[in-house]
Amino acid sequence: MIVENTQTQMRKGILEYCILSIIAKGETYASDIIAELKKAQLLVVEGTLYPLLTRLKNNGLLTYNWVESISGPPRKYYVLSDEGKTVLEQLDKTWQELVYAVQTAIGDRK
Amino acid sequence: MNKTIIININGIVFHIEEDAYDVLKLYMTDVKRHFSTSADSLEITTDIENRIAEMFNETLANQNKQVIVEADVKLIVEQMGTVEDFEFAENDAKASGAGAYTYNTERRRLFRDPDDHLVSGVAAGIANYFDIQAVWIRLAFALSFAFAGSGFILYIILWIVIPKAVSRADRMAMKGEKQDLKGFKKSFEEEMSSVKENLSNFRHEAKPFVYKARDFVGDFFDHLGVFLRGAGGLLIKLLGLVILLTCFGLAIALIVSLVALVGFGKTDIYHIFPFNIVNRDTNMIFLTGGFLLLAIPLLTIILLTIGFLFKNATFNRSIGTTLLCIWLASLGAVIYYGVRATADFREGAKLSKTIMIKPSANNTYYLQLNDTKYLTNEDSTRLRIKERFNGMVILDDDFNGNDMDSPDRVTIDVEKSDVPQPVLIESFTARGRNDEDALINARNISYRFLQKDSVLKFNRHLERLAGSLWRGQELHMTLKVPLNSKLIIDGKLDRNMNFNLYDCLQNNNPKNPAGSVFIMTPDGLQCKIDTIPATKVDTLNNKLPADTAKTPVQ
Repeated sequence: MIVENTQTQMRKGILEYCILSIIAKGETYASDIIAELKKAQLLVVEGTLYPLLTRLKNNGLLTYNWVESISGPPRKYYVLSDEGKTVLEQLDKTWQELVYAVQTAIGDRK
Repeated sequence: MNKTIIININGIVFHIEEDAYDVLKLYMTDVKRHFSTSADSLEITTDIENRIAEMFNETLANQNKQVIVEADVKLIVEQMGTVEDFEFAENDAKASGAGAYTYNTERRRLFRDPDDHLVSGVAAGIANYFDIQAVWIRLAFALSFAFAGSGFILYIILWIVIPKAVSRADRMAMKGEKQDLKGFKKSFEEEMSSVKENLSNFRHEAKPFVYKARDFVGDFFDHLGVFLRGAGGLLIKLLGLVILLTCFGLAIALIVSLVALVGFGKTDIYHIFPFNIVNRDTNMIFLTGGFLLLAIPLLTIILLTIGFLFKNATFNRSIGTTLLCIWLASLGAVIYYGVRATADFREGAKLSKTIMIKPSANNTYYLQLNDTKYLTNEDSTRLRIKERFNGMVILDDDFNGNDMDSPDRVTIDVEKSDVPQPVLIESFTARGRNDEDALINARNISYRFLQKDSVLKFNRHLERLAGSLWRGQELHMTLKVPLNSKLIIDGKLDRNMNFNLYDCLQNNNPKNPAGSVFIMTPDGLQCKIDTIPATKVDTLNNKLPADTAKTPVQ
């Protein structure tokens, strides 16, 4: 149980960073984000993504455009806002620091 | 073969099998309730719905089919994740964000308990919330019913406001059971099967009030039905029996009164208000119409109650339609003749006639009631007065004395005359369809006034010519007498005089056996209160001690 909890905590911590990173590559549709996250084994179900996206959007990190779709209702394609880009840059930096910190910590163990 | 339902997800139409729809509906209900606390609930659920629609479209296109089945929905739910998955993810997010805060899954939520309900599960739900036995809450409600039914109103409000625990998640939240992922994964399939038994419950979700009210009504009758099938059945039957007996009683009363009116009507009802307004034929239509107007609803209630009590369909559609038609026809007839009768009262007319009265020698007039019955020539012939009642006087039996039975009113006023000649001014009023009609009606009034020396005899009623109908005929008479005239008015005229005779009779001293004594003064007519008897009393009082002195007390 404790293991599971910690694992989830670790995943959660980097989830928003990953989402922002994926969106930073260009206009992205929610299911594309899901596909990438699934590939990275960060997220299991799609439903959890929508509240996250909405929260990021409400915090001003994301905006979206409506794009017509042939297979259903119009889709929301997300893009990073200027603020989102700055935040992502800061997170990049933090991530590098974390990677360094973790590697340093693990390095001792080898 | 399966029944399919057509659903609309944000503007896109899908054909979905009933089973699949139930699963989807339950899922969306859970999702909506899960996000209902969030400010962005609408946006999030719309995103999810749109995505589901898209996935449906893809499924249909890929498998080249037209209808969504249960397996498709389950697949999509799996992909989208259940509410428990969301909760799990969010709890972690909150835990990481708020640090020390841990989400208490054991917090209870208030639901109506569908598994332990007597009426609607309100009491059980409250009991669950406070973790006590439902029986105490029920007892409290039962007691509060006694206080002007306040508990009843409260119960109804709670019934409307508190949502029913539909899903397993609801039930667990209601009972404060710990919700974790494992429990849910296991319970999900379980829920799916149990849900099918409670299909009708799916409508109970957080919705605008209108839907809630509608659900409440449905719920109410649902429970009422359950109640009636059980112990209430006997109660309802008793009630039906009471209604049946009451209706029978009313019907019998109605028939008796119709027979009485028609039988009685051959002779006399046409002198009685309101039957004196219209002629005989119209009266028959009126009576029949009125009878049907009352009898048909009674008959309907009786037939329906019998049908309900004895479970046989005595009341079918064709009988109902026939009765309705007859009822409407009689309603039409009553309204039509009613309006026509009213039209006969549209205009009013007034005629005035002055009768000179021979002045009496001592300026005293006796006003008396002429109580001999007024008989026309026809009446005399018909009753063969000469042969059968020779030497007798036929008196007005005063049977039609009150104004309701015979509104042919006669009123008398007394005023001061400026000239020594006393006069009687008769003014006749009547109503009619138009001015001419009203005038003719007023002219057709006959009234008999007799003077015999100083005795003035008045009839109690005015007479209409034979065959003329009641059109609000009235007679107002003004007797003008010169100053200082003495009027002795018979007590029997009390009803016709515009002033009180009885009080005056009490004040008169000595009392006049012929009636109340009035005198015409410069200020108008006043009761005669003699001063002479008063002085006599004084002298009597003065003499009294002397008398007692002469005859000592024994």
